[in-house]
Amino acid sequence: MRERITFVQNLGDSLEPSAIKINGGTISGPEVQAVREDRLTIPLDELPAELQALLRATRELHTRWVSPRPYEGISPLLARLPPGLHVIFIPGKDDVVSSPLCKTLAEIFGDVSCSTATEAFTSLPEAALQYYQQLDDLSHFIKYAKPQLCPRDDVSCLARLESLSHASSLDISYDSSLHALRITAVWPYQRQPVQASSRKGIRTEVGILSTDKPQTLEPHEIGISGLLTVLGQDSKPSPTMFTFASRHRDAESSFSAQFLSPTGLHPTLQLRLSSPKPPPSFSSSPSSCSPHAYLTLPKTIFPDKYQLSDPLFLASKNLSALRYTTQPIDLEAPAYVLPQWGATVLVELAPPPAAAESPLGSQGHQADTEWTAEIPLHLRYLAPSAGGSSAITVPYPAVFWACTPDDGGGPEITASSNPFDRGNLGYDRLFPEGTVFWHVEPRPSVEHGSKGLLVNEVRVPVLDLEKAGWVNAGTAAVVLLGFAWIVYKLAGVWRREGYGSGKVGAEKKRQ
Amino acid sequence: MDKATVSAGSKAPSSAPSRFTSFFQRPFPLYFSAALLRLVFLLYGLWQDANSAVKYTDIDYLVFTDAARFVSRGQSPYERETYRYTPVLAWLLLPTARTTGHALWDVALFSLGKVLFAVADLVAGWLLERVLVRAQSMDAATARKSAAIWLLNPMVATISTRGSSEGLLGVLVMALLWAVMARRITLASVLLGFGVHFKIYPFIYAPAIVWWMDRERMGAGETRPSTAKSPWLNNLIAFFNPFRIQLAAISLATFFGLNSVMFILYGPPFLTHTYLHHVSRIDHRHNFSPYNTQLYLASAFPSTSKLRVESVAFLPQLALSCVLVPLVLAKKDLPASMLAQTFAFVTFNKVCTSQYFLWYMVLLPLYLPRSSFLQDKRWGMTALVLWVATQGTWLQQGYELEFLGRSTFLPGLWLASLGFFLVNCWILGVIIDDVQGQSV
Repeated sequence: MRERITFVQNLGDSLEPSAIKINGGTISGPEVQAVREDRLTIPLDELPAELQALLRATRELHTRWVSPRPYEGISPLLARLPPGLHVIFIPGKDDVVSSPLCKTLAEIFGDVSCSTATEAFTSLPEAALQYYQQLDDLSHFIKYAKPQLCPRDDVSCLARLESLSHASSLDISYDSSLHALRITAVWPYQRQPVQASSRKGIRTEVGILSTDKPQTLEPHEIGISGLLTVLGQDSKPSPTMFTFASRHRDAESSFSAQFLSPTGLHPTLQLRLSSPKPPPSFSSSPSSCSPHAYLTLPKTIFPDKYQLSDPLFLASKNLSALRYTTQPIDLEAPAYVLPQWGATVLVELAPPPAAAESPLGSQGHQADTEWTAEIPLHLRYLAPSAGGSSAITVPYPAVFWACTPDDGGGPEITASSNPFDRGNLGYDRLFPEGTVFWHVEPRPSVEHGSKGLLVNEVRVPVLDLEKAGWVNAGTAAVVLLGFAWIVYKLAGVWRREGYGSGKVGAEKKRQ
Repeated sequence: MDKATVSAGSKAPSSAPSRFTSFFQRPFPLYFSAALLRLVFLLYGLWQDANSAVKYTDIDYLVFTDAARFVSRGQSPYERETYRYTPVLAWLLLPTARTTGHALWDVALFSLGKVLFAVADLVAGWLLERVLVRAQSMDAATARKSAAIWLLNPMVATISTRGSSEGLLGVLVMALLWAVMARRITLASVLLGFGVHFKIYPFIYAPAIVWWMDRERMGAGETRPSTAKSPWLNNLIAFFNPFRIQLAAISLATFFGLNSVMFILYGPPFLTHTYLHHVSRIDHRHNFSPYNTQLYLASAFPSTSKLRVESVAFLPQLALSCVLVPLVLAKKDLPASMLAQTFAFVTFNKVCTSQYFLWYMVLLPLYLPRSSFLQDKRWGMTALVLWVATQGTWLQQGYELEFLGRSTFLPGLWLASLGFFLVNCWILGVIIDDVQGQSV
């Protein structure tokens, strides 16, 4: 087992080596304003038996949880996803995992309502399967992990797990080529003491770093400098400084999302973006960058890809194109009969034209003007309930500028050189290799009802069960009444003229 | 034929032929106006589609043309989600899948399906005229006046130029009626088999046509005295006359032949999407059907009771449209019987949307001119106002649900759909009442 603990501070906020005390297996220092990332790497054979069995039959399994609470990211820990639980799964050769996977996920995370992966997961490119579910906190995971990860009575270990309740994200990633499970937790940018201890049998490396901009920094690179310590091995921290290309960068703008009122059965999600400025380009073609929104929509709400295919309609919503959507999406079924979790949507947004055409380098000149894009969606029918309405929550999308590499030999940006890379997010599979994602920070909408979280609530009108008592009897009675009336009228014609051609019958009667 | 049943509308004003009357004297003005109406709508639609985010073109048209595109690439039309029609429709629209690289030509090609539907409207109108002349011994001018109810109806023109295929049904049904009236049994049988293959519901016309085709009507003279002793058996043997057997054989052969070909070409998806979908669909979304609220409730709680309305809902519908109405009406007045059957089928259906109204609208000109609705204008206005008002109430409730998000399922939508249903039943009762026997 290996552990890596990293504190990342902002540019300029570095810590003097003298401020850090190393005492045997413990490192401590003053409070810093930083993001903390803990990464635990557990070899396959040190895992609980049932988890081992599951992972041995799996090629890749990436589980990522993101908090619905807004948080500030610090380079290079910038990759964002919609809040909730995301699963990307690639089964092994003999797929024996698909059916127990949901059960295992439920054991680990609690309220996971999928039946089997075959039924509930949807497909992504390259044989990957995807699942998403809203999950507000990690309380069940903490309960599950305590006996698995902490020796009995290890109070500090239990406390560390407990602190996951404040984490902004938790990734549990397995790749069969690495034969190890990697658990990465990130806590938001906040004041916190530098404090870590090693445990028996675990190599613990602590980094106290800050973003840096050395003179030699290439535009496609980011720089990091600070102090590294291997607990129990080093007596003093060793200074370090490195640069690397990163796929996830900071767009230095923000957005909020909310539904336009009234939502009806066809709610429109409006994104308000603080700036139309494209990120700086590494090459001469700025047009290869465009803003995108990546949505993971629960089954209660869905996009209509046919509606999102008309250029005029898209333009009227400030959208460029629907780049990807889960297929097929049933456009008619009620939510309560669908086994799939929902649908993924990737739309390209259309920023105001003046901004897109603005020349590079004149960014300071151009004022940040807020702009909006609207994503039309549709509600499914939900099960009837007392009161006539049900609330659903829809997570914020991830919004980013995606800069696709141009053919003209720009800098190659690969994940391998970045020790903080976060891959297998879902949307990265929908872009060519080497795409750089400039993340726009989500801010809770100021409208009522958002509770300061990165989710939006929609009230869905449903049949009011309290009024439904007469429906069966009433419908039957009215249909029978109508039926009887028509039969009565037919009987009248029959009595008058028989069932034959009529006139003949009438003439016969007269005779 | 009985001259007494000639339309009230044919009683021309006593003065010299007005401009109104002379409009119908020759076919050209009527058909030219009908074509012009559709052309204007079609061009307006193209303009709106090109300039507005709100489209004139019906979503279904995009489904058909997408399916045609799949077919043009050698794929199955069922690759297109929600394509729930016979492959024939996609084949008919194959020209819309062609591209020339020239934008204007491409728009024209893409619109060919709408042109086809609009032409189908005109042909249906022309067949209406023929049927009126033949079945009701009308003079051509009067017949055209009736056919104008269909031909110059803006609702009909809108539906076909928006790209809804219901107009094709109109021409099929009218051609079927015309062929039956003209005693062209083979043609009628093929049309019947094809119609059922195309849209299922025309099967309700089979019992009416069969019942109508007795020996006297078909000009084969009185039934030969049979050797059988029981009059029951006698009647039974007489029932199976060669015309009826021919109709049954050819229409069934057409229906199953077409289905076999489609099944061989496209496999199970053809059966699933064209037919089985209609059996398995749960029809929970709000529509005009009186069963709608009940079906939504039942779909969410599948095992609340044993005998459920939705599982017996087809009984009154089929009893009326396939048995009782044709039995009493078909021999007296086949067009009116078909109208009443269609009306009953749509009114009692588990799902009902406004495009279904077109199914009976094409038959309306055969009945309306001699209906008590037109003979007593107040009666007719009452019916029209009630039909529009109950529908309007439903639409208003539907708007509140769909766009304002109010839960109007109960009681609003439910009562509105029941009200609309009862009005429809009343109108159907009047239609039935109006049917009078005609001599053969």
